[in-house]
Amino acid sequence: MTVAGIDLGGRNVHVVILKDDKVVAKAAGATGIQKAEAAGKFYDEALQQAGLKRGDVEAVVATGSSGPRVDFANGYIPDAAADARGVNRLAPSARTIIDVGGEEGRAIKINAEGKVQDFAVNEKCAAGTGTFVDTMARALEMPVEEMAKISLQSTTSIPMNAQCAVFGESEVVSLIHQNIKKLDIARAVHDAIAGRVASVTRIVGLEKDIAMIGGVAMNAGFVASLNRELGMDVIVPDDPDYVGALGAAVAASQGVFGEEVKAKVVEKETIEEGK
Amino acid sequence: MAKYKTKGLDCWGKAKELRQRYYQDYKEAHDRGALRWEGGAWSFDCIPQALEGEVHGLTEEPYGASIGANPAMQVRYQEAAEGKWGCANDLCAYLRNYWGSIILNEYAFGGEWPHADFIFQNHICCSHAKWLQVAGEIAGGEIPYFCFDVGVGPYDKIGERQINYVVEQLYDGIEFLEKVTGRKIDDEKLIKRVHNTYDSSCYWAKACEFNQAVPAPLDEKTMFSLYVLGTLEKSSDDVANFYKDLLYPEVKDRVDNQIAAVANEQCRVFGDSQPPWGFLRVYRYLEQYGIVSNANLYTMSLIGWWNINEKGDMVPYPTLEEQGVTLKTREDALRFLVEGELKGKLEWAPFYGATYKNDLTARMVKQWKCDAAIIHLNRGCEGTAQHQMEMKIALQKLGLPVMTFEGNMADQRQFDEARTDRLIDLFVKETLGLKKVA
Amino acid sequence: MEASEILKQFQDVWENRHDYGRDWKKRKGGKVLGYFCTYAPEEVLYAADILPIRILGGHETPSLVTPHMFDMWCPFSRDCLNQGLQGKYDDYMDGLMETNCCLHPRQAFGAWIVNKPYLWSYWYVMPNAVRSPRSKPFLRGELEEFKKAIEEWTGKTITDEDLDRGIDIMNTNRRLMKQVYELRKQDNPPLTGAEAMTMVWASQLMDKREHNELLKQLLEALPNRKLDRDPGIRLMIIGSENDDRPFMEMVEDVLGGTFVIDDHCTGSRYFWDELTPEKDRLQAIANRYCDRIPCPGKDWGMEDISRKRFPHVLQLAKDYRAQGAILVQQKFCDPHELDIPSLRRYLEGNDIPCYFLEFEVTVPIGPFRIRVEAFLEQIKAEELFG
Repeated sequence: MTVAGIDLGGRNVHVVILKDDKVVAKAAGATGIQKAEAAGKFYDEALQQAGLKRGDVEAVVATGSSGPRVDFANGYIPDAAADARGVNRLAPSARTIIDVGGEEGRAIKINAEGKVQDFAVNEKCAAGTGTFVDTMARALEMPVEEMAKISLQSTTSIPMNAQCAVFGESEVVSLIHQNIKKLDIARAVHDAIAGRVASVTRIVGLEKDIAMIGGVAMNAGFVASLNRELGMDVIVPDDPDYVGALGAAVAASQGVFGEEVKAKVVEKETIEEGK
Repeated sequence: MAKYKTKGLDCWGKAKELRQRYYQDYKEAHDRGALRWEGGAWSFDCIPQALEGEVHGLTEEPYGASIGANPAMQVRYQEAAEGKWGCANDLCAYLRNYWGSIILNEYAFGGEWPHADFIFQNHICCSHAKWLQVAGEIAGGEIPYFCFDVGVGPYDKIGERQINYVVEQLYDGIEFLEKVTGRKIDDEKLIKRVHNTYDSSCYWAKACEFNQAVPAPLDEKTMFSLYVLGTLEKSSDDVANFYKDLLYPEVKDRVDNQIAAVANEQCRVFGDSQPPWGFLRVYRYLEQYGIVSNANLYTMSLIGWWNINEKGDMVPYPTLEEQGVTLKTREDALRFLVEGELKGKLEWAPFYGATYKNDLTARMVKQWKCDAAIIHLNRGCEGTAQHQMEMKIALQKLGLPVMTFEGNMADQRQFDEARTDRLIDLFVKETLGLKKVA
Repeated sequence: MEASEILKQFQDVWENRHDYGRDWKKRKGGKVLGYFCTYAPEEVLYAADILPIRILGGHETPSLVTPHMFDMWCPFSRDCLNQGLQGKYDDYMDGLMETNCCLHPRQAFGAWIVNKPYLWSYWYVMPNAVRSPRSKPFLRGELEEFKKAIEEWTGKTITDEDLDRGIDIMNTNRRLMKQVYELRKQDNPPLTGAEAMTMVWASQLMDKREHNELLKQLLEALPNRKLDRDPGIRLMIIGSENDDRPFMEMVEDVLGGTFVIDDHCTGSRYFWDELTPEKDRLQAIANRYCDRIPCPGKDWGMEDISRKRFPHVLQLAKDYRAQGAILVQQKFCDPHELDIPSLRRYLEGNDIPCYFLEFEVTVPIGPFRIRVEAFLEQIKAEELFG
């Protein structure tokens, strides 16, 4: 059986193709403005890698914040449901998932079957997301990879206000002016976001094992900060940014196609408001 | 085929008519030589309404909520409050709507802002007293203002001392009213109005109690439209009669005949705080999965009065008739009014700690047979959003699946509808494992 | 002792409050009771030989608190609860009280006692309508019940003599701190605003009998202290709970202004009003707390929309010759958010320029520095050309 999972987020799209339960192709890239087209483009790229045509795929399930826009998918499942299935496949011992992507940081509690038990998500702002990491790296005038690397060399903890990306950026600038070493600032940035992410995770509880996925999981500096903050080591599966797409593919292979997310049937009814 | 019969409420039209007339009356009051006053939904409206002659009030929270349900108007009013007055955008959303309405000199129900003759307010949450203090300032600063304190402790700690404190303040309030209006309080009217307050508060609770039945006769979305009358003028004959003579018998009939709010009821959820008013369609979405939102301390006790009986159950507070009481004097009327409000309005209990909220919640989910909870972490109202996270933990300990979503009852800028859709979808399908039944 | 040494001791208590608390317990063996807001009747607690300590900010990212209080509650209250959940008070604090204050600390208190159920806890119903004549007899009754509860907790009867002692400790502390504040009226105050407010924070954290002794020595030493600094612009600082020393130091050390007076519950509002003794001690205590300069949350009248605090703030600004006011507000702090637009108009209408800043657990010093610097420039320009 050949199935595909497509994770269409706000910034990136990830595609996984499973054939007889094995990953045969993966593709990813930036979504740009034309999100639905990007999904199609990277889907075709993955198909090409696997030597397949669209007609060979029996089911496609989409996920991610723009998942409902994948018009060629058979269905859509929420990101947390995809994360749960993906992690359950890769790290069956995990009961808590931390997923930090470009636009959202979230924590999911799952049971042994990979079913979502509880869920928490960060505030609607950049603090606690990949965007915050990118912004701070820009303020430090270095690529994210470099910031991740040097932060691991730091042994000094500097408190930093990570309530807001705008303030965070000017705080980084003023730390630079105070001649604080860049490696310490890099660590401060990771510590601050890790603190936000850990806060959200504590809402669902810190049941072991904890798996960390999403693009930010590839940042070793951040993972080190998170481990310190949580007081335990998280599991980072291979290709942590593809876990959502993998989970969607797993759902497709299970015949779980989800449904449309919007309650479109609701007719506009006059409703009087109360207090 | 649907599991149960269902139909709309027969008294719905009447509720709508009463609400519309309330706002119209306030607007036209001065043309008819009537007095106008501003207050809160908890302001003991029976006191100013007992003044001689015709009197009409405007309660601040329901007014702010009405604006909250109109996105274009809401944004304009809030931007006026924040931009022109300079207040923080995280203050109570109703309050910002209300201030904005005065600043723009617009009445949400048409025409210019209808200035009041006096303010008669009470205070328990951070905003109440200050809300109309500042409103008075924005409106020119000359308005007579009286505010009494009802933050005297939780329902189970109410004794003579607490009742006396509030009653004495009400006597001062009466003196104030008579002084600033030149009219007298009519004791006969006061007694009747207090009696009506009991009927409205107790019969609303009785109607909500019926929601313990399976299937539930009412869903929260409908309940929102019904309790609102009690936040406008629960001391009026029309409102008291609505609860006692129209709603109560109709809901009873629904229970007797198994008429459900949600025809395919298969899951009952507990709610908390107000919903984002522009997002009520979520209840229709839940309906498709056979979910009925049937209990919420806010919805049931914002105006409803309750008791905890000897068995530990939450039961409707007794009416004056059930207590065998006939009010004869002003003193009787004030004391019974204060006693009912302080002991019966359990919505006030969480103001005194998470323990109260957790305790009441635990009783309610058991009595109302709830299977899960959906909690709106309401950034718009700290009063009703108290101890929500601690409550979530308590509910989970009782074995209930709980989902939370952040939002704001009346500020759409603080509510991410698409994200909330995704969260609810996840909860319904994944955590509750429900499939569409309609 | 030199003034600087004493001021340093206050700072040490503030920085190492838990060490102080533990040490006090070891030395005195008494009970320690935490409170959140300055309406706690400390007179009764001192009468019972209990050490009242105010729960103040920890200024660390509150990583444990979100599961118990979500982000819309004020960062100060979240910070307080976070310290409780971290166990920072576990080994010396015996109880915690709430004083019917604003909704934010109520959340912190509620979650704290649910998660630390072994603590003695008490909800003290401080009335809101402090300007109503009815509040004083009501509060007297509340104090009676509170006194009884404390007696049951400690197993010791509180006599009139005990209450007199409690009143004297509190009044002495108020009087002495006011005398220190008086010195700030000088052209070149002998202590900075950060130092003055740290003195008040220490008073809320340490045994006032010890604090009083230090204050007496400070009052002897201060007249001889000359600070080697230009006081620059004389500023008033007004607003929510404020124990943000790094911010005040930034303004005073880097930007060259001086906070000469404040209106904070962690500053002057805490101690400004003394208690007037009368035979009925509990009534005297009730009167003091109803008559004091109110928290904005309780500042509303019985006949009109006037506020009691505003003229007081203006008078302070005049008495201390403040050239401008910085209004600081904890994010989400309703009582102050409700007053600030009006206060700002009121002060500016009385020729006190104002600048507004929103505070969190940690203050972004960099951006705030730029903003305050611009404000000071504006005042200087007005002085020059105005």
